Amino acid sequence: MTADIAPAASAADAPKFTVRDLEFYYGDFHALTGINIDVRDNAVTAFIGPSGCGKSTFLRCLNRMNDLIPGTRVEGTITLDGADIYGPGVDPVDLRRRVGMIFQQPNPFPMSIYDNVAFGPRLHGVKKKDELDEIVEQALVRANLWKEVKDILGRGGLTLSGGQQQRLCIARVLAVQPDVLLMDEPCSAIDPTSVQKVEDLMAELKSSVTIIIVTHNMQQAARVSGETAFFLQEKQGEAAELIEFGRTAEIFTSPRDRRTEDYITGRFG
Amino acid sequence: MRESYRKELKSMKAEVVDIGRIVIGVVRDASVALAEGDVAIAERVIDNDDIIDNRCLALEERTLETIATQFPVARDLRLLYSLAHINIHMERMGDLAVNIAKAARRTADRQGPRTLYDLIKAQGNLVQRVLEAMLEAFENNDLELAYKLKEMDEPIDHLFKQFFRELSRLQEEEDIEWASQMVLASRYLERIADHAVDIGERLVYMVTGEFEALLDGPADDEESPQA
Repeated sequence: MTADIAPAASAADAPKFTVRDLEFYYGDFHALTGINIDVRDNAVTAFIGPSGCGKSTFLRCLNRMNDLIPGTRVEGTITLDGADIYGPGVDPVDLRRRVGMIFQQPNPFPMSIYDNVAFGPRLHGVKKKDELDEIVEQALVRANLWKEVKDILGRGGLTLSGGQQQRLCIARVLAVQPDVLLMDEPCSAIDPTSVQKVEDLMAELKSSVTIIIVTHNMQQAARVSGETAFFLQEKQGEAAELIEFGRTAEIFTSPRDRRTEDYITGRFG
Repeated sequence: MRESYRKELKSMKAEVVDIGRIVIGVVRDASVALAEGDVAIAERVIDNDDIIDNRCLALEERTLETIATQFPVARDLRLLYSLAHINIHMERMGDLAVNIAKAARRTADRQGPRTLYDLIKAQGNLVQRVLEAMLEAFENNDLELAYKLKEMDEPIDHLFKQFFRELSRLQEEEDIEWASQMVLASRYLERIADHAVDIGERLVYMVTGEFEALLDGPADDEESPQA
């Protein structure tokens, strides 16, 4: 079974990620099979599906986060702007700077708000105070957090509320100028007001950053994304597949695959 | 999963079917009242319109509430969206039946040529067939039957046009007031059938997600003489 590939991209509209015939294994366990997808540049793409459907696993393939888990294996190709991210000579650390990640639980470092955001740029050699100040402010502005923290930059990042911590983590990623933001259920652990702020900032960021979000909240997928991919593991123990991929508006009004329809209308999962 | 929501969707569809049965009944009564000059039946049709209006309004509220609270998507969304449309068609068919009943009331004490009575009876019978087919198609999600509605509607349009031709042949001594009421009623019958065809097209969208059938243009026949 092969799922449809994204609506055709013209040369001017080249996909950010192109994934072909991807297979993924955790040791003996075949987790993902036959994944083919083109992820659009400067757009929001949502990955949906029941728990255990492989969407987070697939997300972690896109910045080689799975490399950190012993025994994992990838087959097939994933290109970022046309270059194979699993090719020889690719530095996963550099890749992860270009392809940043936000997790379900906000995970600020136990240091000040300022130092959290300045952490990445410092690691990449930015030392001048003026330059760092500028980067920190810009990143916090883009993360919709600046107004709330501009007078308390020296305070610990962990003193912020959950929703603020999540936006601090987004600012920390944005400070190193990523091309792509991978968000793994970024709103599952935060309050509704913060959810709205995160969704607003996604809408603002998408003109400059490609965003891929894994979410269990289908209304959220419908609200924030331009395209949606539905993943499903049909039988326990079998590899998960990409069932359907298309424009979000179409997926939520007239999905082509019965399994997508059954999932999004709450008939299973 | 979401059992009460599923039940509510089913119950709303069943309500549209029930309203459809009432509509079929009032259209039949209105046609009979017109052809037989029966004022009592005409009055009953006019009085019963409130029942249709109130049920349509209640259904509209339920549809809106379900959309607001349940976030329906895919086939559920298409169902609710289509129910809202079909509901409006039902309400308008009821209104048109009232117009026919009023025409029946105005013409009851007059007498026109036999041919025109025959035409209106024939048209009324054909409209009944279209309405019954429409409701059966809707109840069973029967696309094949839904696709036939347009074809079934054609003779009704033809009868309306014939009605006009017959009208132009009337002699001066004929009752023009009677004739114009009859031609209006014929137009209302023709519009009722158009609503049924529109419901069939909505049904196709509801089941398939394709708007194709709706792209054929308005069911209202632009070429028909304006009543």
